[in-house]
Amino acid sequence: MSQRVYITGLGMISAIGNNVSESFLSLSQSKTGIGKINHLTTRYKDEFLAGEIKLSNADLVDLVKDNNPALNRNSYIAMLAAKEAVINSGIDTNDGLRTGVISSTTVAGMGKTELYYKELFEKDDHLDVLDTHDCGDSTERIADYLGNVDYVTTISTACSSAANAIMLGCRMIKHGQLDRVVVGGVDALSKFTFNGFNTLMILDREWCKPFDENRKGLNLGEAAAFLVIEGENALNLRKGKALAEVVGYANANDAYHQTASSPEGYGATLAITQALAMSGLAQSQIDYINMHGTGTPNNDLSESMATKAVFGNQVPKFSSTKAFTGHTLAAAASIEAVISVLSLQNSMIFPNLNFTTPIAEMNLIPETQLVNTPLNTILSNSFGFGGNCSSLIFKKA
Amino acid sequence: MTKAYINGTGCISPQNSIDSEWFFDTINPAKGDYFDAIEPSYKEFIAPNLLRRMGRAIKMGVAAGNIAIQQADAKKVDAIITGTGLGCFEDSERFLLALLNNEEQFLTPTSFIQSTHNTVGSQIALLMKCHDYNFTYVHRGFSFESTIQDALMLFEEGKETILVGGIEEHTPNFVILNRRAHKFQEVTLNTPIWKSTTPGVQMSEGTACFILNKTKTDKSLASVDGIQTLYKPKTSADILNKLHSFLKLHSLTLADIDVTLMGFSGDVNFDSKLQELLPSIEKESIAACYKNVCGEYHTASAFAMWTATKIIEKQKLPQVLAISDKTPSQIKHVLIINQYLGINYSFTLLSQC
Repeated sequence: MSQRVYITGLGMISAIGNNVSESFLSLSQSKTGIGKINHLTTRYKDEFLAGEIKLSNADLVDLVKDNNPALNRNSYIAMLAAKEAVINSGIDTNDGLRTGVISSTTVAGMGKTELYYKELFEKDDHLDVLDTHDCGDSTERIADYLGNVDYVTTISTACSSAANAIMLGCRMIKHGQLDRVVVGGVDALSKFTFNGFNTLMILDREWCKPFDENRKGLNLGEAAAFLVIEGENALNLRKGKALAEVVGYANANDAYHQTASSPEGYGATLAITQALAMSGLAQSQIDYINMHGTGTPNNDLSESMATKAVFGNQVPKFSSTKAFTGHTLAAAASIEAVISVLSLQNSMIFPNLNFTTPIAEMNLIPETQLVNTPLNTILSNSFGFGGNCSSLIFKKA
Repeated sequence: MTKAYINGTGCISPQNSIDSEWFFDTINPAKGDYFDAIEPSYKEFIAPNLLRRMGRAIKMGVAAGNIAIQQADAKKVDAIITGTGLGCFEDSERFLLALLNNEEQFLTPTSFIQSTHNTVGSQIALLMKCHDYNFTYVHRGFSFESTIQDALMLFEEGKETILVGGIEEHTPNFVILNRRAHKFQEVTLNTPIWKSTTPGVQMSEGTACFILNKTKTDKSLASVDGIQTLYKPKTSADILNKLHSFLKLHSLTLADIDVTLMGFSGDVNFDSKLQELLPSIEKESIAACYKNVCGEYHTASAFAMWTATKIIEKQKLPQVLAISDKTPSQIKHVLIINQYLGINYSFTLLSQC
């Protein structure tokens, strides 16, 4: 049962780049992708900032090389990131081993549905959005784009979704059900999510400031990120190269409120503690934490409390990279998993942008400049509406 | 191999399944080309202040979950795993229409908050104060199947009691739009659903929740011995081959399966592989259907699992579900072969325990 699970391929597209190497460049140059809204149609486009992918749907069609009209932005970016991860890993889905695709999304095809929904009641032209609205659609598009996929499923646990996709992939490999899995998440920007977060009054009109005393909220982003994870047996069989190992994961529920985190970060504390226990690592052996750190008053305080509860006065170096990409919802945990692997590979901690003043009662200070330091282990947190809390621990391979 | 013992069930469907005594004796026909779920009075399950704000999917999930918990007499659960194809569609649509009609102004957050797919699972966690594992699967015809796959793994990882559920709601607009997209047809109970020659299903909704236990107790009604999903099998022969291997894994052959519940939906395009499979099934087992009474939706397989549990408990195959002329004498093993849109197929094996 206890086969080790390795990350062997990375793929991502977000506001900081259309692939992993562009993203690495932005991260290492402290260059945010958050800016003026160009692609999303919303009356608030000049009032708020967002982390948009810098490509139009027409540009994405050219990259995907598939002009099937049923595809939407969610599918395009998912297919691109998943394909990049598979190419990066060097796996061949035709070699007879069992391959799975486990994806995650929150609003799925809503970005297209909202363009046509009212019109559907009058004309038949866009009735096909009914078939591509659901969360499973982009996952099956990925599977068909990659070919020879034996298993598909999709998870939606709000902003912790991709962490749970990574966790499930690891478990299915350990249970001997799959040899390797393409895991991750995707969410394209939509008016629906934008207005939803706006009604909750947790959007910052300026650049978000995770862990800052004067933080006002989050910036939304859009992204897809996928990782290829393989069991050691499959990896050894093809003599492949591991980029990192997944050594710990845990899922817990805050059970406090539908959208707010408990003030003491109870669910987060549970998730971090259980992930640590699984990894067998002591608190002092965590070299860096990639925080959930959305920039909302509630999350950052709650996450700080949980961090202190677990690490006491010995809090490892930490940062939130949300000020680079924006909060990419279901994709956030897989974006941050890719960023964590880049940190391990390049011995770099990417900075927590826009931070000036620590939260008064916490006095936790994130890394605000690029840090070059050897890293062996990284903890990555993701929390979501519905109290869903997940933590992952990656180790240098 | 790890099994899951079903210690409690709760089922809201177009039939009177909410009544624990009901066993397919009275059948509600479809409303022409679609079904609505028959909802219970929620007051006995949910406090009035909460009830007012909850969408239908949440109410159905919380109520069905409650019934299952009561039947199992479960004091706590170690995991809550829900499956839903469309999630809280009513709240999603409400927020969407509000933002479209008011050009993104004057919006309130309630329906947005409740629109996320994990709302049902998290509401159950909130009400039970369950801080443990909480997952929501949202993959079309695999949404409910994934919950069972996960639960079986969690039992091997040490969990003891798990709540799983398949939850689906539709809205009047959703029915209207899908009808316009020509996805419906009227299928009366006089037209055998497994012999359809035309496209279109009877769109439906419903919720079935189960309390699964790692170990058998005096509450155990049946066991789930295994589950497997098949994505886009190419031919019916592929499905049959995979079925034989699946049964072999459990040291069984098709001849050991007393009842095979098959997911005929009434749409000839989606059902064609099951139609081809039917003679092979009937040769060795006794074939039956279920979507003629529950209709078609992403998590109809949860209704099928509830049906299989009841069939094992009552040791009887209801006449309204029968495809084959044969009557089973003893019912030890029930197999469910579900399909959704002819793309998502699954096998679920249940046994007497």
